[in-house]
Amino acid sequence: MTYLKRLPKFEYVSPRSLDEVCGLIAGTSDDEVMLLAGGTDAILQMRRRERVPRRVIGLKGVAELEFVRERADGSLAIGAMTALHTLLSAPAVSQRYDLLRETTAQIGGPELRNVATIGGNIAGALPCADLPPALMTLGARIRLSSQRGDRWLPLDEFFPEFGRTVAEDDELVAEISLPRPASNSGGTYLKFHDRHSMDMTVVGVSAFVVLDDDGRTFRDLKLAYANGAPTVFRARRAETVLRGHALTDEGLEAVAETACAESSPRTSWRANGEYRLELIRALTKRAIRLAWGKASSRKGTKP
Amino acid sequence: MNEQIRREFQVLGKPTPKKDAPLKAAGRAEFADDINMPGMLHGKLLRSPHPHARIVSIDTSRAAALPGVRAVITGKDFPGVRYGNLPRTRDYLPLAIDTVRYIGEEVAAVAAIDEDTAEEALDLLQVEYELLPAVFEPEEAMKPGAPQLHAPAPGNISAHTESQFGDVAAAFAEADYVREDVFETHAVKQGMLEPHACVGVWDSFGKATLWSCKMSPYTVWRQLAMGLDIKPSDIRVVQTYVGGGFSGGKQEAMPMDFCALMLSKKTGRPVKFVHTMEEVLTIGHMRHPMKIWLRTGTTKDGRILAQHCKLLANGGAYSSIGGFSIFLAGAMLNLPYRVPNMKFESDRVYTNNGFCGALRGHTVVQMCFARDSQLERIAEDLGIDPLEIRRRNALHDGDVTPNGFRINTFAFDECITRVAEMSGWYSKRGKLPKYRGIGFGCGAHLSGARLMGHSASAAEIRMLEDGTVHLTTGSTDVGQGVETVMSMIAAEVLGVEVDDVNYLKVDSAATPLDPGTFGSRVTLFTGNAVKQAAEEVCRQLAEIAGERMGVDQQDLVFRKREIINRKDERQRVSLKEIVRWAMFQQGRVITGRGTYGASEEKIDFQTGQGNLSPAYNPTACAVEVEVDPETGFVDVVGLWGADDSGTPLNPMAVRGQVIGAAVMSIGHALYENLIRVDGKVMNPSFRDYKMPQATDLPKLADFQHANVITWEPEGPFGAKEAGQGAGTGVIAALANAIYDATGVRLTRLPMTPESILFGLKGVQQQKGNRGP
Ligand SMILES: Cc1cc2nc3c(=O)[nH]c(=O)nc-3n(C[C@H](O)[C@H](O)[C@H](O)COP(=O)(O)OP(=O)(O)OC[C@H]3O[C@@H](n4cnc5c(N)ncnc54)[C@H](O)[C@@H]3O)c2cc1C
Repeated sequence: MTYLKRLPKFEYVSPRSLDEVCGLIAGTSDDEVMLLAGGTDAILQMRRRERVPRRVIGLKGVAELEFVRERADGSLAIGAMTALHTLLSAPAVSQRYDLLRETTAQIGGPELRNVATIGGNIAGALPCADLPPALMTLGARIRLSSQRGDRWLPLDEFFPEFGRTVAEDDELVAEISLPRPASNSGGTYLKFHDRHSMDMTVVGVSAFVVLDDDGRTFRDLKLAYANGAPTVFRARRAETVLRGHALTDEGLEAVAETACAESSPRTSWRANGEYRLELIRALTKRAIRLAWGKASSRKGTKP
Repeated sequence: MNEQIRREFQVLGKPTPKKDAPLKAAGRAEFADDINMPGMLHGKLLRSPHPHARIVSIDTSRAAALPGVRAVITGKDFPGVRYGNLPRTRDYLPLAIDTVRYIGEEVAAVAAIDEDTAEEALDLLQVEYELLPAVFEPEEAMKPGAPQLHAPAPGNISAHTESQFGDVAAAFAEADYVREDVFETHAVKQGMLEPHACVGVWDSFGKATLWSCKMSPYTVWRQLAMGLDIKPSDIRVVQTYVGGGFSGGKQEAMPMDFCALMLSKKTGRPVKFVHTMEEVLTIGHMRHPMKIWLRTGTTKDGRILAQHCKLLANGGAYSSIGGFSIFLAGAMLNLPYRVPNMKFESDRVYTNNGFCGALRGHTVVQMCFARDSQLERIAEDLGIDPLEIRRRNALHDGDVTPNGFRINTFAFDECITRVAEMSGWYSKRGKLPKYRGIGFGCGAHLSGARLMGHSASAAEIRMLEDGTVHLTTGSTDVGQGVETVMSMIAAEVLGVEVDDVNYLKVDSAATPLDPGTFGSRVTLFTGNAVKQAAEEVCRQLAEIAGERMGVDQQDLVFRKREIINRKDERQRVSLKEIVRWAMFQQGRVITGRGTYGASEEKIDFQTGQGNLSPAYNPTACAVEVEVDPETGFVDVVGLWGADDSGTPLNPMAVRGQVIGAAVMSIGHALYENLIRVDGKVMNPSFRDYKMPQATDLPKLADFQHANVITWEPEGPFGAKEAGQGAGTGVIAALANAIYDATGVRLTRLPMTPESILFGLKGVQQQKGNRGP
């Protein structure tokens, strides 16, 4: 028995620019090279021998991957190497992306947030990762970079199956872009876990609500889940149930039912699928209510 | 009168910070892992990946050939003598020889120039196993045809106890009311923050020395002698600072200890081992998972007439002190209640899991969960107030229990009253909003057990010429504050300051023999010995001072570093002066020795009859919870406890202990669970093995604790234990609170949100069925 061994032997390189990184991963396979961001997952993967790369590419030194910037079009650009702690202290995030702030604050403890990055949280493709649901409901797009050039895609399309992303072997996540949230909008992320303090997610629900101008009906609702299925996913059918309608108990029930039907949570030693489904049902309703409340209270305030 | 005695204390009874706190806070305390010696090697253990297998062969050649590796050993390098606690339960080997019995069992060890090299060598060890069928549940293991773990234990019965007091059958026949319930508890770990660590040196004179974080160094000393088959006098065990113990293996010799010494013998170099937290969480020593069948008969008004308990404990692969664990469960079944007739039958069964032993509260915790959960159901069935039924059955001062416990002080009634007051019980129970509930739970503990083998403690005090005091005992400070409270006792008697007393760590070559630190024995047993030793020093100094001062020594008192004539307080001399005079002019060595045996009484471990401990302490607590009806999540919003710890000698330490014990029980009840699938631990990290964290505590909104002060005649200065009892009632209180909040009665631990949510659905369904 050894679950966690010493690190395997590997060559470590620390490029200084994105171009350099792209050059280093061009033409390689996943087994050969591994990108190292904060390392909070990657190191464990190597110590468990789930991955034994020949070469580890440290991204710490790539300054151009670390930024939180508001763009002229009002969107927010976040570099993949931005540490969670940095996200939390970025004024733009706390002023305009409360959902992102709220979610980030629920990840791990302060020590973890000091090193773990947004890019690692996304690229790890874990079904329990907390940021992807929140980012998906905020309409995130991600930029993948490679020597072949950049391409943008919606985060919703990034996770084709458990533990995998659609990124090619020669691509890395370089940037996350979030549109400026509409006025009359609000979101929340409910992370359920067994203990009060720092814990992995049993089920996470992100709800993002945009109200109609009159503030009485849903213009838009987005829902995404951690641990609701083998990958983080958006419950697209459930999202449509309330569109154009007011908030009612029956409506919420219907959304929750639809979300459950779209989910396929697994049973693991951490929790039973049946229980996760109950959580999805309960937390979907709760999250929508909370998001609705936030959106209502923001109504009229300029974003 | 008790209050008066307290006020007369010079040192005791005042909240006193732990003496080692500044050192530990500054990171200067030297733990075993901090020890570095010239030429020291690093050891690693190869562990079995199989729950049950025969070792066909081990090829060490490739590992031994790895550059940097200095030695490789297997079970065959040891004499093959089994060691353990009780003579009939010696089933440990330093390293497995022909069979492994659980995933994680130690198979071979390597010493190398650094940890990485040692670990790399583990990968090169080639072990050929022949897999054997494995069994993980006690019921399965007891069946005919089940895989057998140990030849001397047919049916995998690792230990069995049976006892009966009174006429149980007649009492049940007489009872107006009888109910039976089954409760199940699970595997939890001690969760100490310092993993086991040791450094071993086998010197060229053939003497073996082990530096290690041991709670009970003398037990380790004897076990090392047993397993190495050498004379105890050739072994020395030196205690380092202990970063928490809770009986998580630090009270015994572990494979790492044997291997450090054996590898040192082979290499002529010091060898250090440090477990990873993953190893700690995977290997043995944990709380026994139990199935507890409990039948209770009462009168109409809820007076207990008889209890019959059958207990099945999942012992894991080895004995540890499991034989005593189940004995204790039976012995403590009744406390804190009067149970005139009781019967107890239990089996501890070997299975292919990590093995079980003691953990704070030992097996009393599981028993109290079962018994106080059931008592609540009885109260409900009979329409009696939950506090009232406890009062009606409470033990009192002066009682003798049917199994022979002589209860000196036992302010149980008052504990109940205090908790009712603090918690606002009567204004809350039945009046809280929906999904909020309050529950009561009680328990008791003993202040050290009289054991079959070594039971007594000793202390030695030596005065130094600067008027300070060297105090040695065989008891270790494992973070609970022994150093401080022993120093306080000595200081109280000698009339010096706490900081004048230097409490030395245990060193088997120098400090008095002692069974160790477990079972809440230290304050009472060792405390009495320290008091006696200090009194002896006073007697010697008073004799000398009396002569010098021309005063009757009977009239001398020791206060503020002076010896004073109580009849004429102007006549005084400094303690230091007398010590120096005695040393310099008379050549005297001022030493005092004290002992505490508590051995005048014998326990019959066959029948269970006898006064197991010098003192018993009751505890009561109320817990208030809020349950989220949609997720089953429990918020503990308040916890109020009262304990009769006798007279608290260091109220600050007592407070720390009772809070710690209560919080540990909350963890046990709600979060902690060592999850095993086919014997493999699934969550061997503190990320996934979930103990309550410091950050959980402010969320336990309202935490209050009261000491109901009694003067225990057997204790030093009236003291009893404080570290374990306070946790014993908490789990039942939580279960009862959850029931009060939701109508869901949980009889199985842990009480997960999932079990509560599905329980709620069951309750709602039942209501629906009864419907309008
Ligand atoms: C104690 C503890 C608690 C945790 N709690 C939580 C929690 O509450 N919520 C949660 O979601 N997670 C949690 N995690 C998991 C983990 O820490 C996070 O997912 C974290 O954000 C990962 O980021 P990182 O920078 O450390 O990634 P790394 O570990 O460095 O990388 C993770 C994976 O992504 C790849 N990768 C990294 N960056 C890129 C990139 N730019 N492009 C392509 N691939 C890349 C790596 O190769 C690796 O496979 C916890 C982990 C621990 C140890």
